[in-house]
Amino acid sequence: MQTSFRRSLVLVALVMLVAVVVSACAATAPAGGTQTKVVEVTKVVEVTKIVKVQKQAEEVIPEGATVIDFWHAFGGGRKLLIERMVADYNYTHPGTYVHVENKGSYRDTLNAAILAAQQGNPPHIVQIFEIGSQLALDSGIFAPFEDSAPSWVHMDDLIGGVSNYYRFNGKFYSMPWNSSNPILYYNKDIFRAAGLDPENPPETFEEMLSACETIVSSGAAKNCISWPLHGWFFEQWMANMGAELADNGNGRDARATSVNLTSDAAKEIVTWWKEMYDKGYYAYSGKLEDWDGADAIFVSGQSAMEITSTSDVVNRQNDAAANGFELGTGYLPYPANSERMGVIVGGASMWMTAGHPDNEMKATADFITWFTNTENAIRWHKATGYFPIRKSSVTVLEGQDWFKRNPAYRAAFDQLLNTKDDNATRGAVIGAFPEVRTIIEQAVEKVLAGQTSVDDALAEAKTQADKAIVDYNKSVE
Amino acid sequence: MSTARFKGKWLPWLFLLPTLIILLVFLYYPVVQTFRLSFYRVAFLGLKTKFSGMENYLNLLHDTGYHQTIVSTVLVAMAVVIVGLGLSLLIAMIANQKIHGANIYRFLLIWPFALSPAVAGVVFLFMFSPGFGAVNYLTSVVTGHELNWLGEPKLAITLVIMASIWKNLGYNIVFYLAALQNVNTEVLEAASIDGANTWQRFWRVTFALLSPMTFFLLITNITYSFFDIFGMIDILTKGGPLDATNLMIYNLYRDAFEYYKTGLASAQSVILFLLVVGLTLIQFRTSGRQVYYGG
Repeated sequence: MQTSFRRSLVLVALVMLVAVVVSACAATAPAGGTQTKVVEVTKVVEVTKIVKVQKQAEEVIPEGATVIDFWHAFGGGRKLLIERMVADYNYTHPGTYVHVENKGSYRDTLNAAILAAQQGNPPHIVQIFEIGSQLALDSGIFAPFEDSAPSWVHMDDLIGGVSNYYRFNGKFYSMPWNSSNPILYYNKDIFRAAGLDPENPPETFEEMLSACETIVSSGAAKNCISWPLHGWFFEQWMANMGAELADNGNGRDARATSVNLTSDAAKEIVTWWKEMYDKGYYAYSGKLEDWDGADAIFVSGQSAMEITSTSDVVNRQNDAAANGFELGTGYLPYPANSERMGVIVGGASMWMTAGHPDNEMKATADFITWFTNTENAIRWHKATGYFPIRKSSVTVLEGQDWFKRNPAYRAAFDQLLNTKDDNATRGAVIGAFPEVRTIIEQAVEKVLAGQTSVDDALAEAKTQADKAIVDYNKSVE
Repeated sequence: MSTARFKGKWLPWLFLLPTLIILLVFLYYPVVQTFRLSFYRVAFLGLKTKFSGMENYLNLLHDTGYHQTIVSTVLVAMAVVIVGLGLSLLIAMIANQKIHGANIYRFLLIWPFALSPAVAGVVFLFMFSPGFGAVNYLTSVVTGHELNWLGEPKLAITLVIMASIWKNLGYNIVFYLAALQNVNTEVLEAASIDGANTWQRFWRVTFALLSPMTFFLLITNITYSFFDIFGMIDILTKGGPLDATNLMIYNLYRDAFEYYKTGLASAQSVILFLLVVGLTLIQFRTSGRQVYYGG
């Protein structure tokens, strides 16, 4: 009796040990930003291992060098690319050593930076997503980039859409980095099978409905289109119709105090979204903000089209090649009764934290400027699909016939260049943006599920969002 | 019987010191801070704080969404604990039979416990994904129907419950197996001789002798279903659809780390803490008294 009990205790201990080892292994895997695909989990883990091995060999900080910490939110291939670029900088700039680290998702990175600042040891450079800009400003831990930037930064070289988003009250508080828009991706083979013109994707909400009817009724695909149930698309459609999301000039003239969720534009978007869903044209994974789920529906041929970020151009081209279909790209659709105003820049920018010695501030600004210079903007664009953010980069790319040889990038870029600049297309600036976004997503979710009418859902969402904004504004007063 | 005694008053404290320091830094201090912050309006994870009295608690009191969250949390916890423990005991009884290769079966049964919640979540996500999941593929082949496991509120919450029960099966089985192997066969024999049937022998003898273990597992499983379920939800549903799986622990995570409402999240943390402490106290007062620790 005694021995059997002891044996089972040993058993318990053994299992506990296994559990600890397994969870420890899991803990070393990257948390994965929005970009990391679930299906690629194993691949990512392998890549991380390789990087770790390389790092251990490389990570020799030269004696007397100024060390700059750089935190970002990219995983997978993009993380490797960033590390290669940083290694190039370190090699060509003796005296400065940039130490680069991935801190998980955008939100994780921002949280980690704020906590580090509280403890008096913030990283010099933090990558912060666009809707975190107001948060970053209010946190008071960052120094305006423009004040430390070297003369050769040439902010006027930035392309319009990008500089319009990131200039607040006429000043660049951060350096724009990875920038993207939503575009339409479509499967030309399914278009052909349905008898549609594979060179003319639908442009308006109305054309989208009729193209979808053809695709679904012909049986060429089970669903017509997918995109993640994500507030970003709602925001983009508002801008595309020239409607401001928040008051006070979209939060750019003064701090936003409420959102325009009960406007006609908002109702039109959600009504169309609902019609697309009810007719079985629109499909999503059932989860909020599930980029991978939308990708899977399109890539597997379950839908003929997908709306997602331009930063996925390279990924979608690879998917199309792997699954043997021809990929096309087009503009974000808009309602025919309104003019196409254009799209908002999404992505992230590089922020400098305040309070470091002068030599470190100088080295930090120097690195950021180098990292986003003409050549590096080109390198970044080609490897990911994010925009080349400098006019000089575009000139070089055109000299290489880059857009002619890669028409998929062309649609993405033209859509940005054709965007008309106003407060709507500059994008809303709201402190409580992360929460407002979720509130909008939940309203759309309720409408799609048939729980409430479009009007009621949007009215309720407006009440909630306005309260979130007021609460936030009170907390930073 | 004589009890061993430490020399001097301070020696036992010295031995306890390493543990106390760790508890102090990583447990007691954060708990005190959480209580304190729940009375503040906090911005940016504590960069700015302003005393606001009961504001956070009043906000929660008037938030109907939060009431629903509490109800869902309690329902999920009940399902996970009752079904989970019942199933574990059943499996442990079967695995306790003296059959060929019993050790292999036992090892395999315990296996889910060795997975982290993240890994278990991803496995279930793969199986139940509406687009490319194996479960929907099989059901569509056999019945011609597909279920929207992640998009339908009732199905999503069922999925979270199933995954959580499965994940904790191994843990419960290990402890039940250990306890079952310790059940005195003489008592069972005596019961047989007295004419007890199989059910009576199980209910009156085995189950009664297992009561200390059941009581222990009851407490750990309640804790599990209130706190550790977080990983499963984060991977499977992110609180959706329509907030159906937005349980207390997930809601407070979102408020704290995604919406930067640290004060409000601290208040939720305090409520969750009081709820679990309350439940545990009730357990000790009621079922605790029924526990038979042996003569």
